[in-house]
Amino acid sequence: MRPRVLLLLWLATDLAFFAGLYALAYFIRVGFVLSTNFPFLPFLTTALVVAPVWLLVLGTTRTFALTRNQRTMRNAAYITYAALVGVALFTLAFYFRFKTSFQGVSRLLLLEAFALTAGGIWLWHLIFDVIRRMILRRSPPSFPTLIVGLTRESKSLIAQLNGHLNPLTPVAILDGQGTKETEVHGVPVLGKLDRLEETLVHKRITHVIQCSNLEQSLNLLSACRRRGITYMLLPSVLGIVERDERVESLEGHAVTVVGPEIRGRWFFR
Amino acid sequence: MRAFILAGGFATRLWPLTEKRAKPLLPLAGRPLIDHLLGQLPADLSVTVSINAAFEKSFEHWKAQGKHPHVEIVVEQSRRDTEKLGALGAVAQWITQRSITEDVLLLTGDNFFGFSIQEFLGQYTPGLPLLAAHDIGDPGRAQSFGTIVPAPDGRHVAAFEEKPVHPKSSLVSTGLSILPAVHLPAVVEYAQSKPDNVGGIFEEFLRRGIPVEFRAFREPWFDIGSFDAYLEATRALVGDRVLLGHEAACAETKTEGSVVLGNHSVVRHSTLRNVILFEHCSVEDCVLTDCILDDHCSLRGIDLSAQMLREGTILERK
Repeated sequence: MRPRVLLLLWLATDLAFFAGLYALAYFIRVGFVLSTNFPFLPFLTTALVVAPVWLLVLGTTRTFALTRNQRTMRNAAYITYAALVGVALFTLAFYFRFKTSFQGVSRLLLLEAFALTAGGIWLWHLIFDVIRRMILRRSPPSFPTLIVGLTRESKSLIAQLNGHLNPLTPVAILDGQGTKETEVHGVPVLGKLDRLEETLVHKRITHVIQCSNLEQSLNLLSACRRRGITYMLLPSVLGIVERDERVESLEGHAVTVVGPEIRGRWFFR
Repeated sequence: MRAFILAGGFATRLWPLTEKRAKPLLPLAGRPLIDHLLGQLPADLSVTVSINAAFEKSFEHWKAQGKHPHVEIVVEQSRRDTEKLGALGAVAQWITQRSITEDVLLLTGDNFFGFSIQEFLGQYTPGLPLLAAHDIGDPGRAQSFGTIVPAPDGRHVAAFEEKPVHPKSSLVSTGLSILPAVHLPAVVEYAQSKPDNVGGIFEEFLRRGIPVEFRAFREPWFDIGSFDAYLEATRALVGDRVLLGHEAACAETKTEGSVVLGNHSVVRHSTLRNVILFEHCSVEDCVLTDCILDDHCSLRGIDLSAQMLREGTILERK
């Protein structure tokens, strides 16, 4: 319930911010008066009409995804890209609706609208992300997560999830090798994989992150599928530890790719 | 004499096959491993099986089939690996609670003995602890087992070695032994400090100056504690053939090595090499090598090797 309400709130506030930031751009450019040469109402109407389309474009960048960290440069780039599309859409819509372009009014206004929506929306996303993480982590957590396998990678992952208040909240650890450790960063080690089923049920697990025991991936997947749990796999389980992997599509098949990094060839690799 | 079968382990190395059943209930060549054991014991021998609370239901189901009505089941109240009494602890508890005053034939429920247990019983010298030893042939192969160092007379144990780097013999301790009634108090006493160490009781006998005898066998013996051991035991028992359970079917399928299809399991248009399917499995258009599928698995259009699949796994290529 909490995640759904938060998502709806996020989408609604984004729409409001988009229109509000366009209005701000108008007043910065025109002055804090209601001009008769360039009326505010058509401008605002166009922004309101374009806002849902812009939101759709923003949604395709998966910026609202649970696992997306708003603080990354990649996320900022996506928001900037959506803002650029928003300005283009706004210009087109304004032209088609009112049969006038911005040439006679103010082209700089469009640049300001772009800068304000790109920067403003990112700032709002940063703030909302912090609030969302805090709310989703409140007890009981919205996304109780089971960690399978106790390795240095999984310990580091738990520390990062907890340190960044990630919505995926580690609540239990199972280790196929039967570690003697009883807890890691406050997360209890409940035993070996023979306790999988009861852990999934009692802890109301929504996500499983496999960090070792590759030979059991099919069985973990099977358990997750049966209970509608999201399954994740750390690349280190496959021996990929240098964090240079990427998931791509090869003729429609998802493939994990690790290839030599050649500077400047990011778009063509 | 009474028989006591240890079946209280949690068998975590064989997860997920042991998620809902104890190791002795795993099917071996078409019937539960424990049935192989019980089939070897004299009909008039009183048999007790020690289990843990986590697998109580699966043993109730097995008992309800009525093949072994004389077998008594005692339930150790542990549900987790960390709570268990320990194998020797379970023996000691049973001896104490039931005031056992007879010789005890002790068997570990996850062992398959290809040799005659009745013959082993016939070689028992009253009052002397007796161990069954499997002659693995090459001392080099005994490195991963507990081994017996024989005395010059070839009947008595001189010493034990646990997973020796340089084994002094090719005789490997098995899960079959006799504890004479006269030494049961020593068992109970030793179990208080080492409840996990069944093999240790024989070392304790030697420490106390009690002679321990052994009988060596060359026939097959398997300690089914791992995926590889389970497949190896199946290969040894089934050979290069297909073993079909009740209403099982294998159509237009190429098979190699040992293939066991449990009751109501069906395979079509596939290639199977050393594969065990438990009950109600369905496999179509697959290539499976060294795989064990628990009940109600359904696979279509995939290739797998060296996998144990948990009950109800559905893998279908879309």
